[in-house]
Amino acid sequence: MYCAWHAGSSWGRPKTGLFNVTLGSSKVVLDSITSVTVPKAEEREAIRRFGLGKAVKVERRGEVNFVVQWIRNRSLIRYIVNWGKLSSIFPVHLTTACCSVEYAGTVGSRYDPERFGILNAVGSLRQSDLLLVEGTVTAKMAQRVRVIYDQMPDPKWVIAMGACAISGGLYAKDSYNVIQGIDDIVPVDVYVPGCPPRPETLIHGFVLLRDKILNERL
Amino acid sequence: MSKVQSIIDEMRKLFGDRVKSVIVDRKILKVEVDRSIVVEAARFLKEKGFDHVKGVTGVDLIALTKPENAIEVIYHAGSYADEELKGTVLSLSVKLPRDEPEMPSLTQVWRSAEYHERETFEMLGVRFAGHPDLRRLLLPEWYSDIPPLRKDFKPAGRV
Repeated sequence: MYCAWHAGSSWGRPKTGLFNVTLGSSKVVLDSITSVTVPKAEEREAIRRFGLGKAVKVERRGEVNFVVQWIRNRSLIRYIVNWGKLSSIFPVHLTTACCSVEYAGTVGSRYDPERFGILNAVGSLRQSDLLLVEGTVTAKMAQRVRVIYDQMPDPKWVIAMGACAISGGLYAKDSYNVIQGIDDIVPVDVYVPGCPPRPETLIHGFVLLRDKILNERL
Repeated sequence: MSKVQSIIDEMRKLFGDRVKSVIVDRKILKVEVDRSIVVEAARFLKEKGFDHVKGVTGVDLIALTKPENAIEVIYHAGSYADEELKGTVLSLSVKLPRDEPEMPSLTQVWRSAEYHERETFEMLGVRFAGHPDLRRLLLPEWYSDIPPLRKDFKPAGRV
């Protein structure tokens, strides 16, 4: 699908409608990518309206990528693409503290999260999709967590497991070395509370993550 | 307990009033000595059978109900070889002034105190003169605040 849109020149529609967009004062000719100039105020407005992650996609209306996104975000195509992502999530088993014992119990045969497409990643972290931070993250470990997160390919999600990973837990406020919630380091999708959370709670977190993946925009 | 009692009596006789206080209880066995004689006291205890250190503890005494401007360093010594002293843990404690917490290292007497002294150094800022390798042990490399287990340390918390 990507290849067909990127060919570009074979696209035979006249330049009307979607392809001629006026941004602010400058009329943007949307024939080539280099001619797109967006004023600063427009950027700020876009960030304010759509958030930093979506703003790039929104403001560059003339690019091929925008058209690709626009088409991919039609509900049926989006549903199919998201459905394809849904059932093969490989979590990184990142043991930072005692919550990993509950995780080990969760991925065992008794609870069997493979029903929901969660299969423990064996092999390289660079092939996994989900970063499961299990427990207390110290200042030294925070760097390692960030390095692991940066090495994972897109799309990727993060689950913060346990009270310590969410807010510092036992070590909140008066600890010199514990990160007060890992959302200071990596963006978190699902918070699973508990000290430690039971396997049922963690599986509920997995189900919530599936719901989020199925409904997210591309 | 009788052998320990005799050892402590002998210590008192030997060092006089530089043994500051002695606590002999069913669970606590603590001898507080002056900073100037701590190496001699440790040598003496090692001759009498306390052949290793189980742990070195540092306590900041500034936040007590009766605060003292001091840091207390406690060596917990035990014995492997002596039959009578097997279950005994004797605490040898030194009080150091908080402004200048410096004391001679006891690694020359008890080799097993080395890593414990390194930890006390990084957590409370006590400098051990004559320590073979006085570096940080557990804290991050970029740490630049005052030692974190001192009671006037303010943790950053969540911004």
